[in-house]
Amino acid sequence: MTSGEAAETRVEREELRQQIERLLGAGRAREPIAPEAAACELVVEPESTDEIAELVRKCETDRLTLAPLGFARTLSQIRTSRVALGVSLARMRRIIAYEPDDMTVVTEAGVTLGELNRLCFEHRQRLPVDPREPDRTTVGAMVGASHAGPTRLSEGTVRDLLIGVAFVGHGGRLARAGGRVVKNVAGYDLMKVMTGSFGTLGIVVEAAFKVRPIPENYTLAVRRFGRDSEAFEAAVAIHDALAMVHLEVLSPGPSAALGYDYDWVVMAGFAGNRAELDYQRAKTIEALGSGTDILEGASAEASFASLRDMDFPADGLVAQIAVKPAELARCARECSGEYRVHAGSGVAQVWFEEIGEGTAEQTVTRWREMARRAGGNLRVLRAPETTRAEIEFFDRPSAGAFGLMKRLKQTFDPANIFNPGCFVGGL
Amino acid sequence: MLDELAAIVGDDGVVSRATELKVYECDGWTVEKSAPEVLVMPRNTKQVSAVLKALHRRAIAFVARGAGTGLSGGALPIDAPVMVCTSRMNRILAIDLANRRIEVQSGVVNLHVTNAVRSRGFFYAPDPSSQVACTIGGNIAENSGGPHTLKYGVTTNHVLGLELVLPDGEVVELGGAAEERCGYDLVGAVVGAEGTTGIVTRATLRLLREPESRRTILAAFPDVDFATRAVSAIIASGVIPGAIEMMDRLIIRAVEEAFHVGLPADAGAVLIVEFDGYAAGLDERASAAVEIARRYGAADSRLARNEAERALLWKARKRAFGAVGRLAPNYATQDGVVPRTHLPQILREISAVSERYGLAIGNVFHAGDGNIHPIILYDERHPEQVQSAIEAGRDILRACLAMGGSLTGEHGIGAEKMGEMPLLFSPDDLLAMAELRRVFDPGERANPNKIIPRPGACVEVAAPHRQVPV
Repeated sequence: MTSGEAAETRVEREELRQQIERLLGAGRAREPIAPEAAACELVVEPESTDEIAELVRKCETDRLTLAPLGFARTLSQIRTSRVALGVSLARMRRIIAYEPDDMTVVTEAGVTLGELNRLCFEHRQRLPVDPREPDRTTVGAMVGASHAGPTRLSEGTVRDLLIGVAFVGHGGRLARAGGRVVKNVAGYDLMKVMTGSFGTLGIVVEAAFKVRPIPENYTLAVRRFGRDSEAFEAAVAIHDALAMVHLEVLSPGPSAALGYDYDWVVMAGFAGNRAELDYQRAKTIEALGSGTDILEGASAEASFASLRDMDFPADGLVAQIAVKPAELARCARECSGEYRVHAGSGVAQVWFEEIGEGTAEQTVTRWREMARRAGGNLRVLRAPETTRAEIEFFDRPSAGAFGLMKRLKQTFDPANIFNPGCFVGGL
Repeated sequence: MLDELAAIVGDDGVVSRATELKVYECDGWTVEKSAPEVLVMPRNTKQVSAVLKALHRRAIAFVARGAGTGLSGGALPIDAPVMVCTSRMNRILAIDLANRRIEVQSGVVNLHVTNAVRSRGFFYAPDPSSQVACTIGGNIAENSGGPHTLKYGVTTNHVLGLELVLPDGEVVELGGAAEERCGYDLVGAVVGAEGTTGIVTRATLRLLREPESRRTILAAFPDVDFATRAVSAIIASGVIPGAIEMMDRLIIRAVEEAFHVGLPADAGAVLIVEFDGYAAGLDERASAAVEIARRYGAADSRLARNEAERALLWKARKRAFGAVGRLAPNYATQDGVVPRTHLPQILREISAVSERYGLAIGNVFHAGDGNIHPIILYDERHPEQVQSAIEAGRDILRACLAMGGSLTGEHGIGAEKMGEMPLLFSPDDLLAMAELRRVFDPGERANPNKIIPRPGACVEVAAPHRQVPV
């Protein structure tokens, strides 16, 4: 960028900021900070659904693009060009209703998962979604990007827990679906449509979830293996024998980062009453072998937190593959990088710490073809900035399904302003 | 057109004689009736596609039907001359136990899925009461539940991939065998869309491991208030049971007369609570639940001693609707939802509605989910009772909504509850839903006049007949 262009951008940005403040009031727009700056020109912080509706109408009229921002961690990766407005819901973080006896919670989308679960913890409950860094994951981002973590094995993912949603769509229209009850088939399931839609259909402003009891006596079995095949065989044995809370296999890189030796590690969580624990402990040791460490109480919780919060290399190439569960071990190995495998779910994150500029696209293609052969798909989570333009982050569905997706996008976002151009097939 | 359809599916696959079509004039929602003009029974995806293409060229609307056990008129043709029945597409295509998946045609009967894998230690979780007859395609359309969905979830939680024939005949693959999908979750949009997105011809379903063991408790309470408090306390104790079902006095009596399962005849309410999981620890869970039940007034709690006793309890529960047939010539089943803690209130409200209309109402329902199933008894020979039964049902639904609940937990909106949709959703909500539907079906020819109310559709509101036990 030349200095002339930069100055021009600054002028445009200042003009936009003034327009937004005229529309919504002073202090509602600010300069983006990293990593927001990679995703948007300006950050807007509306305080209400009405303000978001105003904003959407302005964007449609003025052909400005906008996207829900969260902590900008996902958006800053998937966008190769900035949207005009990043919509932060930092001022919309009310917990609207938490009914411990009904086991439901309704929140504004700016609430973080961490806040939400601290509240639920008082009643020994939780929203059992566990992406990394819950204090930097908003409910909106969790729904929009369909974030998940290790407990997907036992509790499912956002799509299984989201019972109601409200979003501001085209024309500034507020639409709701679902409700606040745990079983409900009234009307179309827009919760599923919004989950994993990456802000391309509207701005999610409110979400209702089922919550679940916190498992009793969470216990973590950890076993190191000298060979990957041994680790995967042990994971299969455990998955066949028991219903685990979660079941991960880590390659040597991440296991060393978590403080284990440079080996393959199986981390298997279980829970239950005393009799169930005794039974599972014995079965787990039988499946994993005598070198198994059993962690309980605070040390189990702490180790789980580091497994959940494990970071992926900032400048590497990171992808998530989802395949038939029985194919996962082979796929993870064939990727020939590092990995965290959610055994049993068929989902794994795979990565190279470093990737040469010319080889990122090639690697993604190789991984993706392998995932497809195993009945699945691949989504890129992170890529070095210089390589992003050449990489397709989202895998393509079949032609027929993609045709429907294009129609869905055109119908829900006729002006093409909601986070356009970076989702599946360029939607 | 008949010739063209016969050329696609064979002469024996087309029914057009009015007398033969009479059977198809309603599903389990018998209050409204309307027979199709033509019934087509394709055997495979290719035939479904060809049939829908033929209809598309003529802009003719259609409705899909599985076994016709739906309870909200989902398979009732309203201005849809052609009915496409999936019952001949009943093949299990692939069983993949290593990946815990099964691939079936949409006409496969729900229970047949579990039957195909049970001996190898697996099961398909959604278990609606009609599971001996209802089809997977119908379950997908209605997003069906069942008693064990408290712990395991409803149909949408168990469908990974679909083959869908769009209303213009195009065949599309949605989702697949993997847990993460590419792009938008269209499988999630189709499940529960009540057949308004096209016709599902094939599904990839998730299988679960059969639990090692189960403990099934029958607890008798003085009244439904005590029983519902016990439900909340059992769930709050930290583990979600496999199922918690409740029956009230009227149902207890009917079931006892029909099946002689030994339900305590003097009880005001009984709970069936089932825990499943590892054999180790289950006794502890069961005794904890029995202790909670006792604390909340259960005079009598007993554990099914063996699989036969357990099976008898579940038979009683799943056939409760049929048993009610002994109490009155006709009945109408409602399906509403309240937040679970509102169960005592809604049951009091139901009892007030019963008095107001002078109709007996029994309750048998999924207490753990707050999903109520009041059964309104009436006699069709008295037209004013028919009207009262319909109005009583609506009053109950309105009460559910006033308590923050929903119009339906598992039966669907169908034709039955379209009129109530605006009570639950704003015009903008309904508009967004209609837009989603038109993504799949721009001409609104797949099961028209369902879910979202629209003026002008006509259907004969007939005197109801005795309902098929489901």
